Amino acid sequence: MHDHTAKPQTKAEPSTRVFAVLAEFPSGDEMLEAARKVRDAGYTKWDTHSPYPVHGIDEAMGIRRTILPTIVFVCGLTGALTGLALQWWTSSVYYPVIVSGKPMFSLPANIPIIFELTVLFSAFGAVFGMFALNGLPSLYHGIFNSGRFNSRMSTDRFYISIEAADPKFNRDSARKLLESIGGQSVEVVEERAAVEFPPMLRKWGITALLVLGAFALLPPLYTLRARTRTSEVTRMQLIWDMDQQPRFRAQMKNPLFADGRAMRPQVPGTVARGEAFADDHLHRGLVDGRFAATNALPVTESLLQRGRKKFDIYCAQCHGLDGLGQGMISVRAERLQEGTWVPPLSLHDEVVRTREDGHIFNTITNGIRTMPPYGDQIRVEDRWAIVAYVRALQRSQNATLEDVPSDRRGELP
Amino acid sequence: MRHPADISGESRRLDALAPKLMGMAGGVGLLGLIISVALAFMTEDGVRRAYHAYMVNFCYFLSISLGGLFFTLIQHLSRAGWSVVVRRLSEAVGANTLVMLVLFIPILLGMHHLFPWTSAELLQNDPVLQWKQPYLNAPFFLIRCAVYFGVWCGLSYFLLKRSLDQDASRDPKITLSMERMSAPGLIAFAITLTFASFDFLMSRDYHWFSTIFGVYFFAGSFLSFMAILPVILLFLKSNGRLRHAVSAEHYHDIGKLLFAMNVFWAYIAFSQFMLIWYANLPEETGWYHRRITGDWLNLSYALLFGHFIIPFLGLIGRVSKRRLRLLTPWAVWVLAMHWLDLYWLAMPEYWLRVEGAPVGTIPFSLLDLSTFLGIGGIWVAVLALWLRDHSLIPEGDPRLAESLAFENA
Ligand code: HEC
Repeated sequence: MHDHTAKPQTKAEPSTRVFAVLAEFPSGDEMLEAARKVRDAGYTKWDTHSPYPVHGIDEAMGIRRTILPTIVFVCGLTGALTGLALQWWTSSVYYPVIVSGKPMFSLPANIPIIFELTVLFSAFGAVFGMFALNGLPSLYHGIFNSGRFNSRMSTDRFYISIEAADPKFNRDSARKLLESIGGQSVEVVEERAAVEFPPMLRKWGITALLVLGAFALLPPLYTLRARTRTSEVTRMQLIWDMDQQPRFRAQMKNPLFADGRAMRPQVPGTVARGEAFADDHLHRGLVDGRFAATNALPVTESLLQRGRKKFDIYCAQCHGLDGLGQGMISVRAERLQEGTWVPPLSLHDEVVRTREDGHIFNTITNGIRTMPPYGDQIRVEDRWAIVAYVRALQRSQNATLEDVPSDRRGELP
Repeated sequence: MRHPADISGESRRLDALAPKLMGMAGGVGLLGLIISVALAFMTEDGVRRAYHAYMVNFCYFLSISLGGLFFTLIQHLSRAGWSVVVRRLSEAVGANTLVMLVLFIPILLGMHHLFPWTSAELLQNDPVLQWKQPYLNAPFFLIRCAVYFGVWCGLSYFLLKRSLDQDASRDPKITLSMERMSAPGLIAFAITLTFASFDFLMSRDYHWFSTIFGVYFFAGSFLSFMAILPVILLFLKSNGRLRHAVSAEHYHDIGKLLFAMNVFWAYIAFSQFMLIWYANLPEETGWYHRRITGDWLNLSYALLFGHFIIPFLGLIGRVSKRRLRLLTPWAVWVLAMHWLDLYWLAMPEYWLRVEGAPVGTIPFSLLDLSTFLGIGGIWVAVLALWLRDHSLIPEGDPRLAESLAFENA
């Protein structure tokens, strides 16, 4: 054994105190053996240090199994319940909406979020739990006061340190123990009793912090000012690309096109804005500002057939094929008893029968009360076709003898 | 740390156990098959029913064998050290794809019972089938099956044979050659397993399709291998074999994989279910509708709880993975659930397109048991055959020492 093991390497100053007694070992196996003995000697605040994980160290140090798995499990469970509660509350209490005819609270739809939150919470539990159990982040550790430790520990040496905080700690007996179990270069590591800054650093440091802090206030103040006033000056541009994009202006050249013009001529058949929908009757169902009494298109058999087809696609799921209101969605929503559902009006109701054609057209285009609009899904012509078909449906339910051709009245029961 | 000296004294061969096992299992197997044939001809609609039962159990043991093959491939591919002591077992289980090839013959004989798409009459009247006919036709089916079994048997025999060679020669180059084979082997494995699951199970209702089906079958396959491994180990241990080589550290890793694959199965099963449930398209929901009608719903719930939730809770702890006597009961449980899963995959179509069928009832039959014993018995007997004259662990593997000294951190 070297002779310099005898005297401590760190110079003792009046303002220092003992942090630990440190011993070096040339191999992991030797450290492992020694660790068992330190454990058996009854120390509790001590540690081993090695450049890489050493198998069996937990057992040698008498470390109990970590409670991390339990933390992770509890976090995972919390995640699962959070996911469930979140979806239950948002989609069936706070903002209940029927989505694709599923019940508002339906487990299968909720599983993915439950799963994600379970994983997320478990991962948080694992990472932050590990940090907490390890006492991380730690900005200071007394062991780094040993120069020898700093230079060899992460390369090729193994260490055991017995800390002064241990209730059994006694500088001489700890050193004796470590020497007797094969520790080399045993040293007493000292640390400063109190952390203190040099006065210069303290003075300038505080000034610098104050100045920086004041500067940091400028951007928010500037923003605040900008938000409360108007200004003639162009606003500040942080990201130039968004405002100063390369682009072609009128009359410029563009080599991309054969004719070299950046301004493209209009595609044949282009209609100017506003011009396309000039026809009030056709596009808004209005005549002289009131709902039109008649269909905007000539009512023919083919129009009616088209109307039936479109009605069966777009309306029947709520209003029913016959318009009485027993569509699939309606029936199911009523069965689910979700409370937010208003059953559709029967199209044979007196109210609807006396509506103008233009009104029904408007209902399809813009929706009415709880019925959603269909203007952006159904073409104008088809909307009129549906209106015509609705009229035909209504007539079918309120037919009189006169509606039956006279030569076929005999077939009636 | 354990030292090789402790372990050299143990018994690493089946020796007298092999002929005993082969005789008993083989006997049970033959008896099972004979009883199945007898039952098939004695009961009403017995032949068709027998083919269906046979299909379930064929797929069951096929999936375990494929799981073994996959395990071997993946260990080589990742150059795993921990698993060397159990790799001989996975090699032998994988090589059982060879016996599955022989056991495949009855499936071919019963094709018209098992695969309605073989019917010329249906083909004439069903535009969907006409559309799929370029894929779903008997000659192409046979070609595909030849490719599947070619890949499986070729790979698994190669891996077993080379590993046995290494026992004697101790040549580390053999390990390299197996590792090199494993990368393309794994790709071929993935493709063949996926399409085989389409062909054997999914095509039984040829209207239905699910692109994740192959992954589903794979999940069950790897899972069932991870489940049969503890069973085999417990059997060997209680017969005094491999007393020391395989330790709690190895069970722990096997248990982790078992647990992981069980969760993976649930993940895939739910992924398949949720998309179909959400989209609610008629051509996709039919398959599930059959499985939630009548008694089948109970079976579906049995899978949800028995195949996922209960073993999840049972296997999540550390203790149940590190004690073979705790791990094995869970493994047996999972094996039983895997069987139920395959039953659930294959059997509801038994009533499909049958006039006046009691839809919603589960057609349990003695044939399910007799074919299980039949195929299972032969499977075990052949497994013993592979291992008869050899060590139960790859003695010549350069990573054997690492595996013997393996420790979970
Ligand atoms: C999503 C379900 C749904 C669809 C689809 C639907 N409706 Fe309605 N409709 C309703 C409901 C609900 C009402 C009653 C609204 C209320 O009273 O709050 C209604 C009312 C009406 C009325 C009576 C409005 C009035 O008071 O004059 C007409 C006419 C009508 N719908 C026509 C149609 C037509 C035509 C279509 C197809 C383009 C259609 N609806 C599609 C749900 C629907």
